[in-house]
Amino acid sequence: MSRTIGLERLLYWFGLIAIGWAVLTFLLAPMAAALHAALFRHGGLAILDAIAELARSRRVRAALWNTAWLTAVTTATVTIVGMFQVAVLEYFRVKGRGFLKIAYSTPLVFGGVVAAAGYNFTYGPGGAITAALTALFPSIPRDWFIGWFGVLFAHTFLMTSFHFLFLRAAMRRVDYSTIEAARGMGASEMMILSRVVLPVIMPTVLAVTLLTLNMAVGSFAAPQVLGGRDFHMLSQMVLTLNSLRRPDMAALLALLMGVVLMGLLLLSQYFEGKGAYTSGAKATTRIQLRPIRNPLMRSVVHALAYLMAAIYLVPVALIVLFSFAPASSIGMEILPSTLTLANYALVLGGGTAFVAFFNSIFMSAGAVVVGLAVTLFAVPIMVRKRNWLTRALDASFFLPWIIPTILLAVGLIAAFDAPNPLVGNAVLLGSYWLLPIGYVILSLPLMVRFIRSAFIGIDPVFEEAARAMGASGPYRFRRVVLPLVAPTAILVAGMKFNNLMAEYPLSAFLYNVNNRPLPIAIVDGAVSADADQAAISLIYVTLIMAFSLAIILIAERLSLGRTPETSNL
Amino acid sequence: MRLSTLVASAAIALATAFPALADALTIYSPQGGERAAWIAEQAKAAGHDIKLLNAGGGELFDRLLAEKNNPQADVVLGMVDTSMALLKKEGLFQAYTPTWAKDLPTQFQDMDGMVYKFWQTPIVLAYYPDKLPVAEAPKSWLDLTKDQYAGKYVIGASAWQTTRMYLAGILVRFLDTSGEVSDEGWDFLSKLYAGAVVVNDADSQIEAFKSGRASIDLNWLGGTFKLAKDLGAKVKVVETDGGTPVISEGVAIMAGTDQLEQAKAFVDWFGSADVMAVYAEKFGQVPLLPEALAKSPVAVQENAKLVKPQPIDWDAIAPKLDGWLQKIELEIR
Repeated sequence: MSRTIGLERLLYWFGLIAIGWAVLTFLLAPMAAALHAALFRHGGLAILDAIAELARSRRVRAALWNTAWLTAVTTATVTIVGMFQVAVLEYFRVKGRGFLKIAYSTPLVFGGVVAAAGYNFTYGPGGAITAALTALFPSIPRDWFIGWFGVLFAHTFLMTSFHFLFLRAAMRRVDYSTIEAARGMGASEMMILSRVVLPVIMPTVLAVTLLTLNMAVGSFAAPQVLGGRDFHMLSQMVLTLNSLRRPDMAALLALLMGVVLMGLLLLSQYFEGKGAYTSGAKATTRIQLRPIRNPLMRSVVHALAYLMAAIYLVPVALIVLFSFAPASSIGMEILPSTLTLANYALVLGGGTAFVAFFNSIFMSAGAVVVGLAVTLFAVPIMVRKRNWLTRALDASFFLPWIIPTILLAVGLIAAFDAPNPLVGNAVLLGSYWLLPIGYVILSLPLMVRFIRSAFIGIDPVFEEAARAMGASGPYRFRRVVLPLVAPTAILVAGMKFNNLMAEYPLSAFLYNVNNRPLPIAIVDGAVSADADQAAISLIYVTLIMAFSLAIILIAERLSLGRTPETSNL
Repeated sequence: MRLSTLVASAAIALATAFPALADALTIYSPQGGERAAWIAEQAKAAGHDIKLLNAGGGELFDRLLAEKNNPQADVVLGMVDTSMALLKKEGLFQAYTPTWAKDLPTQFQDMDGMVYKFWQTPIVLAYYPDKLPVAEAPKSWLDLTKDQYAGKYVIGASAWQTTRMYLAGILVRFLDTSGEVSDEGWDFLSKLYAGAVVVNDADSQIEAFKSGRASIDLNWLGGTFKLAKDLGAKVKVVETDGGTPVISEGVAIMAGTDQLEQAKAFVDWFGSADVMAVYAEKFGQVPLLPEALAKSPVAVQENAKLVKPQPIDWDAIAPKLDGWLQKIELEIR
């Protein structure tokens, strides 16, 4: 017994040192390098010049303004759409709930570059919807979707995944007996919604809103693909500046975004602290779906619910359909007239077209596994021991969230483009490993965020009981704590895996000739005028969606259906 | 337990997957799509084990500079004059005179023996006579800002080599005595952008012609022909007043290569008259080797004389290009 405990202690210290080294090397050093790049140019302090140049630029000012107002509007529209979905799925009795649920879950598997390309394929100038619309109303310009409207539309419907996952879970935690009691006292439906249900889910609503804000500020793929000439956002500007070989200006602009995101993060932690309540043991009465009494209201809700489902499903359906079409019909026909499996044979045949798919699965899975291991090791320590060291660690894990991905990429390049003593004087840039390391860094904030919530949400009674029965610390962790956080861990791992499969900005900077990942292949294909490339790109998108769907279904089955509920966002 | 199994199997998969990837000669090239596929296929048939990484010219350039201390490429192929000149200045290349270089006209040879050009292409001003009557076609690059052409020409992404080159070709006409672009030049460029359809990707470029009002194509010659083929329309190249920028693309071996012999063999093979002639036949690219040009189809030989070149000193422009592009990206477009 004591020998195993000795070994566990050894592993514990080894783990701590390894995490300390990793945080220093792959988080703090790149950040310092990026900061250095922002402040100095050609060896001199040139920050004032860079600020002046940025302020002079008409396009930088436009990007700032666009990002600010679009983020604000996006947050509002996403909240409306997301709350409506939760109401339809978890509160009101609506026909075809299963179907609607599938439709509303598509943002989980259809995000980032993949979704932006898909929307362009559907609503863009060459898209099927546009072709149908212009056939009906010839006065509509073919690029009607391109510009701020398309970006807002894409944001509104693609950023509801947090609502779908976490607000639904919160809704299920509403104690039905309180609703019954309110009704018994004669409260109206509106009264019940606003005075009984809303207060319970409010902390989650706020947290989810902040996550949405965070996503909208850093949005890259949607404006890049759908913004067209007249609408661009900050992250595009950062990328442009970097490609103009002005990393100082790029880093400065990215830092500005970082400050805003940092403010948001602090806000969200404040709300989390306020709304923290334990779960795991509460015997709540499960919520029952409420029929809508007013027939007019009922029709309106149904119509809206199905319209929304159509908006979600049409792009996905078209992509899947066209992935079976011969390359020549892509962009030429509204619906394909013939179907073939030739495209799939090309990609799955194991030739060069398959390599990108394999690379992405391999690196994303590896990153998620490593990220999860780090998180599960570090979070309990951070939750239990609050001192300056764990606080610093905590803050470090959130750095990648407040730091725009592109700045992270610039930092990683700056830190590892020359021999670096932290990694044994190796030059990591250009090697296979820098991109998967970047993926791990990107996956940390979300994992730490949710798994910490899960740990905080564990009712202390469980551990106390186990301790009272003489279970050792590591044993308690394995047999009591881990099963309680496992559902959250699985879900967040699945989400992150899917994100990484469609991650573009970091991949574009760090991929090398041996690990060219799927998002790069998709963008190359999507922007290529070559019809065969476009066809392969559609197959990639379809495969990613199928794969992600499987992951999410498994994760959801393992997590949402299980009691006790631990997603305590 | 299951976690450790996963990690272990991942490690094994990695260990087995990697040695197989290590040997191929890595070539960075902006040649993409079917051209890249053709090069890879032909090289393989000739016994060269190569791996192509293709991306936009600007992106590849950044990548090569960033990877300076850990070069991944063995050979750089097909970057334009300005990029090759700057990369050479950064010390990324090593000297090697390919076997075919002795017959190359001297202006395409490198004084330091590092960069050798193998084909050239004019960046042309072309139009579609079906949409724009011959009499109304522009006669010079400087005609584009006239009101009648507003919304009819397309400017591509400034990350594309082609776009960079014709923008440079326009700006050099406005250099003042100190070698800087005059205010008049920037005014012209602002007007040029104001009246243009600006696109970020090849898809939108085609779309502008297919369903939009665009009828004037600013493109490299091969790109112009390919676009016309995709559109199924006839295109006419303008012999412009003041000449057309002609760029040539070069090949060089990286200083940091660990496969010098293979790299030399590949460069010797790729630039040889036979390969160049077959490529010319397949894709219509004009080779610089006189022997290769002689073996090329008649159409290609005619393309070589299609337009009068604009005199441009690319080496002198190269260091200024970044500043120009910055001004364009931040203030003009």
